[in-house]
Amino acid sequence: MNNIKIKSKNLNVYYGDKQALFDVNLDLNEKEVTALIGPSGCGKSTFIRCINRMNDVIDICKVTGNIEMDGMNINDKDLDVVSLRERVGMVFQKPNPFPKSIYDNISYGPKIHGKGETKSELDQIVENSLKKSALWEEVKDRLDEPGTSLSGGQQQRLCIARAISVNPEVILMDEPCSALDPIATAKIEELIDELKKTYTIVIVTHSMAQAVRVSQKTGFFHLGKLIEVGNTEKIFKNPDNKMTQDYITGRFG
Amino acid sequence: MTKEERLKKRHRAEKRFRFYGLASILVALLFVVILVQNIFSKGSSAFKKTVITTEIFFDQDLLEIQNGASQEEIMEADFYDVMIENLIKAYPAKDRAEEDELLKLFSGDAEIEIKKAFLKDNNLLGKTITLDLTASDDIDQLHKGNYPRELPEERRRISDFQLVIYDYFVENKKISKNFNNYFFNNGDSRDPEIAGIGGALVGSFYSILICLLLAFPVAVLASIYLEEFAPKNKITDFIEININNLAAVPSIVYGLLALQILLATIQLPRSTPLVAGITLALMTLPRIIIPCRASLKAVPPSIREGALAVGASKFQSVFHHVVPLALPGTLSGTIIGLAQALGETAPLILIGMVAFVVDIPSSPVDPSSSLPVQVYLWSESAERGFVEKTSATIMMLLSFLIVMNFIAVYLRQKFEKRWN
Repeated sequence: MNNIKIKSKNLNVYYGDKQALFDVNLDLNEKEVTALIGPSGCGKSTFIRCINRMNDVIDICKVTGNIEMDGMNINDKDLDVVSLRERVGMVFQKPNPFPKSIYDNISYGPKIHGKGETKSELDQIVENSLKKSALWEEVKDRLDEPGTSLSGGQQQRLCIARAISVNPEVILMDEPCSALDPIATAKIEELIDELKKTYTIVIVTHSMAQAVRVSQKTGFFHLGKLIEVGNTEKIFKNPDNKMTQDYITGRFG
Repeated sequence: MTKEERLKKRHRAEKRFRFYGLASILVALLFVVILVQNIFSKGSSAFKKTVITTEIFFDQDLLEIQNGASQEEIMEADFYDVMIENLIKAYPAKDRAEEDELLKLFSGDAEIEIKKAFLKDNNLLGKTITLDLTASDDIDQLHKGNYPRELPEERRRISDFQLVIYDYFVENKKISKNFNNYFFNNGDSRDPEIAGIGGALVGSFYSILICLLLAFPVAVLASIYLEEFAPKNKITDFIEININNLAAVPSIVYGLLALQILLATIQLPRSTPLVAGITLALMTLPRIIIPCRASLKAVPPSIREGALAVGASKFQSVFHHVVPLALPGTLSGTIIGLAQALGETAPLILIGMVAFVVDIPSSPVDPSSSLPVQVYLWSESAERGFVEKTSATIMMLLSFLIVMNFIAVYLRQKFEKRWN
């Protein structure tokens, strides 16, 4: 069993008057993949957006309770979100490369954080990030081409490389394969398997099969509540909760 | 109603709609064609001027200067007598009255034209040269065929005797049409043959430049703040509504505002491009903010999120990603706003730009005219020469607008990036 990397205690999230998360207590283990499943609108994405404070972008969003990373309170009002997001990267549902060159897409993060002072250091970071995201062989000869000219699956791997480029500790993935075809999905899943050696990964997914394939731990959300969490194998073979059972067997959702 | 009937009715409705649409486009095109044809047929002749080829003898006794005289001496020398003595030789006139009528066929600037020819070549004293002297407006219009010579003499501005001289000139090929450099280089004048849009061009240029320098940075910063940084609350909404309303305020209201504040209170110089530029900037501001905000809004939120997720600050995500992507739209909105300002007349009339200004302004604080106001001024003049000059000025104004709009479209298409 790995160490606990992120720990949420009684986490509540409100969008205006509407409560989106109810007292979520969820621990994420270091260098492990945690999958979050549940029907649409159940609060999975809201939960992971608490980890890198992306909910700050939404004016009406209010977060109460505790969420800690290595003992540091993420929800602290005085916390610098810029350095938090340097440690917690994120990959979105739809690939969103910047409309710039492949090279610039990846070097942007290191540049703004002052990593890679010289051109050769930056080149090294770009190469390493692309290698880690298994994209290097496909794009090494066309780093000057716009990132948007890649295929959907390549774009998503480019976004993963972009997240890796600032050397984070945690990577959040919000349904990273929902816009991709099965072949591209398989590649991303392979990649996740590789990445978990270095990073703590949280993945939101609608595909049970994907959760089984990539994750060690699974949490099931329903209507803003964390219904059940445990080892992936146990959740899918022998869940404690009736609702989890119904969801994974496709009786609702 | 059977199924077939319903189907037929539906097809008929579609055909009718297509016909109405096509008809509207044809009607609109017809109006454009009429407008352009009207302006071109009236205005194109203004780019040519009629000149009379005349022999000029520089008589040393009349000029009272020595060979190798300095520039200042020549400038001060009296060329009036030289002009008279030479021009009356253009046609064998019998008496003083006929000579007077002959002289009236030349423009009021004949003396200056002779002096300029002399200044160009310092060696002309005691020699004879042939010069193309600008003809008077009446001869100009007669030669261009705009003047009905069939009218009885008492209803014509040209006398029978002058027509005889004109026919003599035509017969001896002494009269011809040249490129009208005066139209572009000269300021306004009471005489149509030497009036030009030079002053209006420079005045409009200064006005638009000042308008751009004031309106562009303010509008862009205001839009970025409102769109990206301002809290979403009632005050922001209120400001937004007011900006939209300001864009719809009639331009003459801005003229009244400028009259009261810029001229009466701050006492800036009247009739100047400086005041015009500030007034136009006030008017253009909301017209730039609206397209600028629209192009910022068109940048997908995923780009902002992508930047924020790698740890960019709000400021960095806006200025590194959103603003560069919104720039083509912003620039084309600005150019279209400036094009509107270029054609604006009403506020400029209120701040005194309708004054009759002969000199070409050398700075934004000199009194000046502007292109649309020049159109307004000349359209009220009775002389035929001003009719063609009005249309020619409209042609110039329209070509500037077309060029600006073309640049705007080009910028948008060339630099607009695609994202998915």
